[in-house]
Amino acid sequence: MKKLLCLVLALMLALAAIGAVAEVTDLPRNETLYFAGQQWGSVNSWNIIGTNQNNSMAIAGGASGYRTLMFETLYMYNFMNGDIIGLLANDDYAWNDDMTALTFTIKDAAKWSDGTPVTGADVVRTFDIGVEIGNGTGTGFKGYIDSIVADGNTVTINAKLNDEGQPVNPLKVLDFLTGTPIAQAAWIDTVVERCGGDAVTILNDPGEDVVWSGPYTKLYADDQKVVLVRDDNYWGQDESMWGKLPVPKYIAHAIYADNPAGENALKAGEVDVCQQFIGNVQNLWLEDGLPISTYYEEAPYGVCLTMPTAWYNFNLPVLAENPALRKAIAIAVDYDTIIANAMTNQSPSFADVPRSLMNPTEGEQALYNHDEVADLQWAGNDIDGANALLDEAGLLDTDGDGYREYNGEKISLNAVCPNGWTDWQASMEVVAAAGKNIGVEITTLYPEWDIYQTVFTNPNQTEYAIYMWSPEAASPSNPWTRVNQFMGSEFVGVENNWSGNWGQYVNEEADALLKKIPVTTDEEELKSLYTELTKIYLTEVPSFSLMYRPSLFHAVNESVWTNFPTGDDGRNIPPADCTDGYGIAALYDLELVEG
Amino acid sequence: MKNTLRQVFHSSKFVVGFVIFVAILVTMFVYPLINPGNPLEMIGVGTFARPGTYVSLYDATKTPTETFRLADADDKRLASQLSAEDRVAMVEWFTAAGIDVEGLDISDTDALLDMWRANYDASVKPKGMTNAKRNYYKRLNSAIEQVSAADTLIITDKDAETGELVEQGRVTKTDYVNVGQVTNVKTLPLGTDNFGRDVLKELVSAAGTSIVIGLLAGLVATLIGLTLGLLSGYVGGFVDDIIVFITNLFTVIPGFVLLILISYSIGQEQRGAAVVALVIGLTSWTWTCRSVRSQVISLRNRDHVNLSKLSGHSLVRIILTDILPYIASYVVMAFILQVSSGILAEAQLSLLGLGPKTTEVPTLGLMMNWAMLYSAHTNGSWWAYFPVILTITLISFSLNLMNTGLDQVFNPTLRD
Repeated sequence: MKKLLCLVLALMLALAAIGAVAEVTDLPRNETLYFAGQQWGSVNSWNIIGTNQNNSMAIAGGASGYRTLMFETLYMYNFMNGDIIGLLANDDYAWNDDMTALTFTIKDAAKWSDGTPVTGADVVRTFDIGVEIGNGTGTGFKGYIDSIVADGNTVTINAKLNDEGQPVNPLKVLDFLTGTPIAQAAWIDTVVERCGGDAVTILNDPGEDVVWSGPYTKLYADDQKVVLVRDDNYWGQDESMWGKLPVPKYIAHAIYADNPAGENALKAGEVDVCQQFIGNVQNLWLEDGLPISTYYEEAPYGVCLTMPTAWYNFNLPVLAENPALRKAIAIAVDYDTIIANAMTNQSPSFADVPRSLMNPTEGEQALYNHDEVADLQWAGNDIDGANALLDEAGLLDTDGDGYREYNGEKISLNAVCPNGWTDWQASMEVVAAAGKNIGVEITTLYPEWDIYQTVFTNPNQTEYAIYMWSPEAASPSNPWTRVNQFMGSEFVGVENNWSGNWGQYVNEEADALLKKIPVTTDEEELKSLYTELTKIYLTEVPSFSLMYRPSLFHAVNESVWTNFPTGDDGRNIPPADCTDGYGIAALYDLELVEG
Repeated sequence: MKNTLRQVFHSSKFVVGFVIFVAILVTMFVYPLINPGNPLEMIGVGTFARPGTYVSLYDATKTPTETFRLADADDKRLASQLSAEDRVAMVEWFTAAGIDVEGLDISDTDALLDMWRANYDASVKPKGMTNAKRNYYKRLNSAIEQVSAADTLIITDKDAETGELVEQGRVTKTDYVNVGQVTNVKTLPLGTDNFGRDVLKELVSAAGTSIVIGLLAGLVATLIGLTLGLLSGYVGGFVDDIIVFITNLFTVIPGFVLLILISYSIGQEQRGAAVVALVIGLTSWTWTCRSVRSQVISLRNRDHVNLSKLSGHSLVRIILTDILPYIASYVVMAFILQVSSGILAEAQLSLLGLGPKTTEVPTLGLMMNWAMLYSAHTNGSWWAYFPVILTITLISFSLNLMNTGLDQVFNPTLRD
C-alpha cells in the first residue's frame, strides 16, 4: 500500500514537472518577444518600492531611461534628441520663473491595473514613502526635491533650495520625471500596514500583490525564465497615449548562464532582442548570413552614451602629487588598440570624437568649445610625449632598472577591473603595456566582482591604483551628472560610494563651476562653464576615459519579428532594447516576418 | 650506464617521444632567433587576423608592376563580388518590389546588372522585408558598384595647403606586383590572437614557459614524494604512520580542488610563473610518495641492506647507496609523468583564470584563457586555440611515450 502511495505521489510530481515545463515551452513563438542580456539570476521580488528586486524586466532604472513594461514613469526620456515625452503625465510640465517649482498634470486616461485612476496623490505617496524608508527614489532625490504636493491631477514638485534661496539642482528634478516609477498610494498603504511600518520589512516585501499601470504584468518567474504577459485592459490604448496595445502578447527572458549562452541563443533565433556586447557583431550577418541587425548598419552599430573610465587613486601620494605622471600614462595608452580589441570597433575613436567630459552624441558635443581645448586633448599612443613629460617632471630612472622612481621608490602601480569582464580586462592589459613603454611598472589585477566592488567603493582604499568604472550615460540631468561624477567633491569620503568621483579627486575651482551649471539657462554661459571644466579635467587628468560605449546594446534577430527601430527609419525611437524610456515605443510598431 | 642508455634508445616508443620533445625544444630555441622580439607585442590593431601573408597595400602601390592579361581574371573578380546566391537574391528583390522579371536570365550578368541599376532604390521598403535583408541589399549594391568601377583606379594625395587632390599613381585591372618586391610583407603562419599578437611567436614562447613550469613542478613534486617515500618506507614505525597519514590526507582531497583553492588564496599579485609551478608541485606529490614507499618496504629487508645495517652504515648512506639505485628508474619515469601533468595543471588553472600574472609571460593556459574569453571557439578563430591545444597534446604525448618506453625497458614483467 505504502509502495503504491509512493508511486502515485512520484507520478503526480512527474506530471506536475511536465506541466511546468509544458507551460514554459507553450508560449506561442509568434506572440512572444524573447530577450537576452537583461535578467541574470532569478527574480527576488515585484515590490516596486523595495530594494534588491533583481527583476530586470519589470523593475530597472536603466542608464538611458526607466524600463516601463510593468511600472510607468511620469515621462519617457529619448536620448536620441533629449525629448521628455509624457507617459502617465501630460506633456505640459512647466517651471515657475525662478525654477523652484515644477508643475504638471496626470493624464485623465491613466489607470491602475485594478481600474482606479492614477492621481497626483500616487505621485506624492511614491516620493514620501521613498524618503521615509530610504529606497532608491528616496535617497536619489531627497537632496533635490523638498516636497511634492497634489491637487487632484495637478502635481507640483517643490525643489530643495540652498542657502541663497536658489534651487539645488533643477536638472535632477527632471530626472525624477523620467526615472521614477510611480506606485499606487493604496497599495503602498497595504504594504506599510502588513509590514507594521518597519522600513526594512517594507523594502524586502516580495510585493506579489503589486498594482501596476504598465502594458505588461508578471505571468511567471523561476530560475529558468521570466515571462510577462500583456494586460489587455492597459489604459495606454486610449487615444491620448498610444492608441493601441503593444504587439507581442508575451515578453520572455530566459535566464542564461553567461554572455556566450545568450549570444548563441540570439544566433539560433531563440532570442529576438539581445542586450549584450557581441564582439565583431558584423560577422553575424557578413560571415554567418544571419538575419541579425543593429541600430546602425556600420560601426559603431549603436549609440555610445557612456565612457568606461580608468580612475586614478588620489589616496596614493605618487598619483595625487604628480599630475605629470597621471597625464603621461593617459597619453601613452594606445586607445586605438583598446577600441579595436576590447570594443571590436563598436566605439568611435578619440581621433573622431576628441576626449572631453562629453559623450559622443551631438547634443553633448555642442556643449563645449572644441577650439579652446584642442591643445589639451590627446588621441593616445604618444610615447615620446609621455616620456618627455615624465623627464620634465623629474620622475627619472636613476638606478637603471628600467623603471622611474619617485622619492627614491620605483613607481609601481596596478591596473584593476573585475575578473571575467572581458572587454575591460583587455583595456587594462593595454594600459599596462603603455606603462612598459614609459618606464612605469603597471601590472594588471583581476579580482572577483564581490571583492572589487567593496574595494573601489571604499573612499580610503589604497589597494588599487588605476581602476575602471563607467560614469552615467544619459538622462535629462546629463552631462552635468557625469561631470560631477568626474570631479565633484561631494562624493569624496562617502562610505560605500556608488555615486561618483571614485578616485577621491578634489578641486575647488571645479566645484564652484559645477554648482553654477544646474541653475544656468543661458546657452552661451553654459558652454563657457563646461569648457572651463573640460580644461581643468584635461590638465589635471583625475581620470581618463578608455573608450566610448553604448549603455545598452541592441542587436535584434529578425527570424520572427521585424520593424525594430533603426537609425535611419525616421521614427527617432532610441535603441533602448524596446523597453527603456521612449524605446518602448518600438513594441507598438513590431510586425511579424511574413511567410 | 652506457648499456642502459643503449637499451633505452632501442625502445621505439621512447625514441619517438624523445624526438618529438627534442623537436619542440629546438623550435623553442631556434624560432626566436629567426623571429626575434617581444612575444607579447600587440602588432595587430584588432582581433584575430587570419593566418596568411599580409602585403602592405601602401607599399604595393609604389612597387614596380608587370602587366598580365589573364583570361579568367575578370570572371574571378566578378564571382568574388557577385555569387550565385546574390543573383538569386537580386531576383527576389525585384519580385518583392513588384518589378516584372519575365524573361530575365540570371546568368546573363550584363542584363542582370542593368536591370539592377535601373531599379534598385535603397529607400524602398518592400513589405515583409527585414532590416537585415535590406542591409544585405545595400551591401550588395555597393559591391555591384565596385564591379562596374572603371578599369583604372587613381591614387591621389591631398595637398596640405590647397586641399586639392594630386594624382600619385594609377592602378589598372591588369597590374600585378611581385610579392617579393614589396617592401613590407608580414607572414603570420598562425595569424594573431585577440590582442593582435603574433600567435606563433607567442606559442613558441609560451611552450617554453609551460615546459619550465612543468619541469619545476615535476622537480618539486618528485623531490617531496621521493624524500617522504624513502623515509616512510625505510624508517617505518611512527615516522611511517605520520607520513602515511599526511599522504592519505592529501590523496583524499582532490588535488585539483586544492590547487584551485591555494592559487586563489595566494592572490593574483603574488602568482608568478615560479609560484604557480611551486603550488602545482606541492599538491601533486602524493602518488610518487606512496609508490616509492611500497617499493622501499619490499627492498628494506633484502640481504644487502641488512649487510649494510650490520656494517653500521648511516641511515642516509643506506638510503642513498643501497635503496635509491634500485628505484631510480621508477623515479625518473614518475618525474616525466609529473612534468607532463604539471604542464596540464598550469593549462587548466590558467583556463580558469587562476594562472600566472598576465602581463609578463605568455603560457599555453593563458593563451587558451584569452581565446575562450573572446569566444574564439564560437567565432571560428581556430588558430587562436587549436595550435595551443595541439602543442599541449604533443608535449604530454611525447613525455608519456618516453615514460612508456622506459617502462618497457625497466619493468621486468614488460621486458621483451
